[in-house]
Amino acid sequence: MSIGDRLRPIDWRERSRGTVAYTADLAAPAHLHAAVLRSPQPYARILDLDVSRAERMPGVRAVLTHRDFPPDALYVHRGGPLSDRPPLARDVVRNVGQEVAAVAADTREQAEAACRAIRVRYRPLRAPLTIAEALAPGARALHERTTGERNVAVRWAADWGDVAAGRAAAVYTVEGSFVYPSVSHAVMEPNTTLAAWDADREVLELWTSTQAPWFIVKEVAHLLGLSREQVICREVAVGGGFGAKSKISEHEVLAAALARKAGIPVLLALTREEEFAANKPRHRFETHLSTSVDADGRIRLFEADIRVDNGAYNHMGSSVMRVGVITLGSMYRPDGVRFDARLVDTATQAGGQFRGYGTPQVSLAVESQVDELAERLGIDPIELRLRNLGDEWTTTLCGYEVTTNRLGACLEEVRTGLDWDRRRAERVPGRGLGVAVGMHGSGAYAYDFANRSDAAIDVYEDGRVRVRFGGADAGTGQRTILAQVAAHELGVDPADVDVLSMDGEQTPFELGAWSSRGTHMTGSSVGQAAREVAATLKDLAREKLGSREVVLTGGHAVAGEDSVPLGDLVRLSPDSRDGVLSHETSYVLEGTEMLTPDRDTANLSPTYAFAAHGAEVEVDRRTGKVRVRDYVAAHDVGRAINPTLVEGQITGGAVMGIGAALGEETVREGGRVVNSAYVNYAMPRAADLPRIRPVIVGGSDPNGPYGAKSVGEMSIIPPGAAIVNAIHDAVGVRIRVLPATPDKILTALAEQEGRVRYFGIWRRPDRWWVALVRWAYPRGLHFVLHRWGTRFGPGVGAQGPETTEELLVAESVGDAVGALAEGGAVVGGGTDVLTEARLHPHRPSRLVSVAEVTELRSLWRRDDGAVEIGAAVTLAELAAGLADTAPAIAAAVQTIASPQIRNAATVGGNLVQAKRCWFFRNGFPCYKRNGATSPCYALLGDHRFQHAAVGAHRCQAVTPSDLATVLSAYDAEVVVAGPAGTRTVALADFYTGPGETVLGPADVVVRLVLPAAALRRRGVFEKLALYTGDFSTASVALTAAVDDRGAWTDVRLVLGAIAPTPWRLSTVERALAGTTPSAAELRRLVDAELDRHGHPLPGNVWKLDAVAGLAETAAERLLTTEGVLR
Amino acid sequence: MPEPTALRVNGAETTVTTEPRTSLARVLRDQLRLTSVKLACERGECGACTVLVDGVPRMSCITPARLVRGEVVTAEGLGEETEQLRGAFADHGAFQCGFCTSGQLVHAAAILREPLPAGEDREAYVRQRLAGNLCRCTGYNGLVDAVCAVAERRR
Repeated sequence: MSIGDRLRPIDWRERSRGTVAYTADLAAPAHLHAAVLRSPQPYARILDLDVSRAERMPGVRAVLTHRDFPPDALYVHRGGPLSDRPPLARDVVRNVGQEVAAVAADTREQAEAACRAIRVRYRPLRAPLTIAEALAPGARALHERTTGERNVAVRWAADWGDVAAGRAAAVYTVEGSFVYPSVSHAVMEPNTTLAAWDADREVLELWTSTQAPWFIVKEVAHLLGLSREQVICREVAVGGGFGAKSKISEHEVLAAALARKAGIPVLLALTREEEFAANKPRHRFETHLSTSVDADGRIRLFEADIRVDNGAYNHMGSSVMRVGVITLGSMYRPDGVRFDARLVDTATQAGGQFRGYGTPQVSLAVESQVDELAERLGIDPIELRLRNLGDEWTTTLCGYEVTTNRLGACLEEVRTGLDWDRRRAERVPGRGLGVAVGMHGSGAYAYDFANRSDAAIDVYEDGRVRVRFGGADAGTGQRTILAQVAAHELGVDPADVDVLSMDGEQTPFELGAWSSRGTHMTGSSVGQAAREVAATLKDLAREKLGSREVVLTGGHAVAGEDSVPLGDLVRLSPDSRDGVLSHETSYVLEGTEMLTPDRDTANLSPTYAFAAHGAEVEVDRRTGKVRVRDYVAAHDVGRAINPTLVEGQITGGAVMGIGAALGEETVREGGRVVNSAYVNYAMPRAADLPRIRPVIVGGSDPNGPYGAKSVGEMSIIPPGAAIVNAIHDAVGVRIRVLPATPDKILTALAEQEGRVRYFGIWRRPDRWWVALVRWAYPRGLHFVLHRWGTRFGPGVGAQGPETTEELLVAESVGDAVGALAEGGAVVGGGTDVLTEARLHPHRPSRLVSVAEVTELRSLWRRDDGAVEIGAAVTLAELAAGLADTAPAIAAAVQTIASPQIRNAATVGGNLVQAKRCWFFRNGFPCYKRNGATSPCYALLGDHRFQHAAVGAHRCQAVTPSDLATVLSAYDAEVVVAGPAGTRTVALADFYTGPGETVLGPADVVVRLVLPAAALRRRGVFEKLALYTGDFSTASVALTAAVDDRGAWTDVRLVLGAIAPTPWRLSTVERALAGTTPSAAELRRLVDAELDRHGHPLPGNVWKLDAVAGLAETAAERLLTTEGVLR
Repeated sequence: MPEPTALRVNGAETTVTTEPRTSLARVLRDQLRLTSVKLACERGECGACTVLVDGVPRMSCITPARLVRGEVVTAEGLGEETEQLRGAFADHGAFQCGFCTSGQLVHAAAILREPLPAGEDREAYVRQRLAGNLCRCTGYNGLVDAVCAVAERRR
């Protein structure tokens, strides 16, 4: 028996040590490296494309453009009129990041340099960047479409059931608009392909990060004019998929075409920036929904208008939209459903398949409204859902033939697991509980042959067994499941089963891992193959042992007392070849129906999985920050073939859904992705989460292999609504636009509490000019600066030929200053220098490391009690060194970045680091990067988190250093060495602008001095960040001497990330001196200062409330013993 | 200019060739074929490239190789020390796709060399310590459980 066992992954030894090879790890075949030239324009005509200079660059072996493909070459994708994407842009580009050319060279750096040498002339066109823009009258069309509506690629409108009856029965109706944004898979392994062309055999070999080799072969063969037999995928480890790798991207074809053109194998690995900015994220859904119930709380009617952001090309948008819409007709039992859905073209990266496939988006709306109705009816949300459960063995409005359904048991598990009734009744302020449910198929009949899976079994003379299947396991554990299935059927130890996947020559037909079909389809086909082999082996055993009753167990065929090893039977079989008994079979699923454009209902899947998730959250009313305290995810998966793997799918999907609920979002400006880095993408880190509690409710579905249903996608469907429902329960705020970030919650709370700020800019002449410029930005100034002004700058990104570089390791401060006098840049911990080098147009040719200067490495306490901190002391050393002397500083340091970064980053480097504005950092030609005629992209772009709300001028960024904020509250002084000698600058005077300092080009920070008097004060540091280790969205450092009577003197109150430089509130400090303020009093004073000086951007007014909230919390903590220093 | 650079990696002295901006991760992967060191961001933001330098976890993808002083240890170089931990990873579902796993393993091994808090604080501590190692598959339950379980067994 191995079905139901918690078997370790079959390759756990190699995988846990990192010795399995992913595509980029392959040394053989020896290969070139490729890079892709991408469009910088969201929508433009290509007037000219000249690669001649690139072709002559050193190391370049092949340059690929649209001319290397037939003029009508398009990816097939969904086929027919929906095919619209060329492998490389021809005469027009339709999104920033679209592939224009590709280069293969000896090194990646050479390939990138050659890409920069390609000349492309664009004529920009007015680009519809959002659904609203694309559907607006006068919008420019991106494609010729067949729907009759401009920029609508597909429209699907229909009624299911009896809409009139539903309307007649409706007693309560709620209506609202919900947005589930575009989010990134953020797979850990970037998409990568290694391609090798054998010119003699005319065969292409591919090692590629995919969940479905069949689709890769199909598209590569089609675009390269090869037969499918000429394209052979090979098995390779795949580092996460979640849908991102379940259909072809673009790297596969480009690597293949480059390899053929160069005659040398080519590796093309996307960078992380490309993963975020050019790969295919989840489709944004804008769902306008109304839900009606009768007086008993029975759902009677859904009416929906759904708009799906397709991006610039049809990838899987049409089917994602359909599956999303189906949510309305599958989950509950309404009388009727009416929907009108549009797939809208926008000039942004095309959306793709993503775990859940449209269902999380529509579920957000449905499950939010079920909660709204529960409140309206005064019925408990779990109870209301129990009243509306679908039946088992029934056909839903959308045509699903549901088999088993244990959703009721899932809801009960949430109720007991969360102690729901008691916690709901307790009503702890700021805390709330939410629940949401969902449903998902186990595979979908979405393509020809999607109802078929082939598999093969080999039995060897030594008794070992091999499973061969043509799919790919990107991390779900499918290979382990299949080993368990084969072991079960053949009576062998799972450890004696090997699995070969993906191999175009050795593995049989299989469409791959998508639509949660892996366990059902390949579990069925491998089981069938193994049963058929088992029957053959039993026949041989009957003959050998002379008995009718034969069972396979323990690697033997056993009949009573007699037994024979399976390997011996292999020798006996006339069908064995070279000591292997092989058998291949084809499993065909009966009873499912293909969803085609001419029909509105279909039974897509053999079984349907269900789940209920419950969350407890805590909302900080002062900052809008949500923390998940507890999370129960109860799933009906039928029977779990491997409970550990199932729990892994539940937990991983739930966390991915929580990430989308609370922080994840692809942010764009002018069509370009702004947050193309993990540091700007608030996906959950380990410390952001509680333990997720997965529950498998048990059961067995007769239509599933070994009773199993799906789980992989199911788990990401409920979290969105479960979280927003819990937030509503906690603070009465209903978030309908994900993610539920602090800005949205605090803005809603401000409205709820009636908080309004008046800034009186008209009374502040020093702000008039800034206000005027801000007024002019949306009225043409931004357009002019972006379109024309940026042309006068040097550009962004590494440019031109590589310069000769040197890296000097200074042994003394004098050394460093001397070296810098001839030009160059200081390297401290070296945590930013390599990343910046990729972005900076004029990177310095000389780097001077100061990390080994002994004088800079010490942290010590002087006799007078002051503390001196060498500039090259690492943050980790600082936290350890000040743990007793100044715990507030130590605690602040622990909030900076990650442990690994703190182990390397230095105090000096942290203080002088450049601004972290995501426009500045992520490739925008902004004024600070590209010169005075360029715009600041933050003014019209997303400035909710990172930009100043007080005192900004041309640049809206802030000083990112938390250390600067907290050390300012300790009166720190900076000792600087330069060509003219050593000088001391108060930290308060150190910054001249956002991340800009008084340092001259040859100056070096030597040390910081914390005066003894400051260290005797109490101190606290409070920080609002989007995830553990993020830069501050806002922060507060507060120190004060508190005497025996509790009176405060020597107060320092410094706000971080709110103004261009750390902002000391001297007025408040003076007002507090000699008093024992309450937290509320302190907040009132801070609020008054914020109103007096605030000049926020439209999207960051909330930061003023947030920082005031942090100040209030800081005061509370200072008043308790927590703030005492010793 | 390319220069020979001496490194001590997994117990062996070796000489590699570096440019001023060559990262430690690139050297380990491309020249020493230590491919457990994964490149997932090349910005020091995800932890997949975590190695130990004199026992201290570092992001090798952003560390200039020429500035490395001390012994470098990758997942390949962690022998018996991690046997128990790797088994715990497998038992607790600490990895799925495995791409971040070697970085997690290296970091977890360093964490387990120190005494961990007992009781309820332990899990929160481990979560904080591993906050710089992103995982997109597991939701972190398995990783944290595995580290805590090994810490418990070693007490």
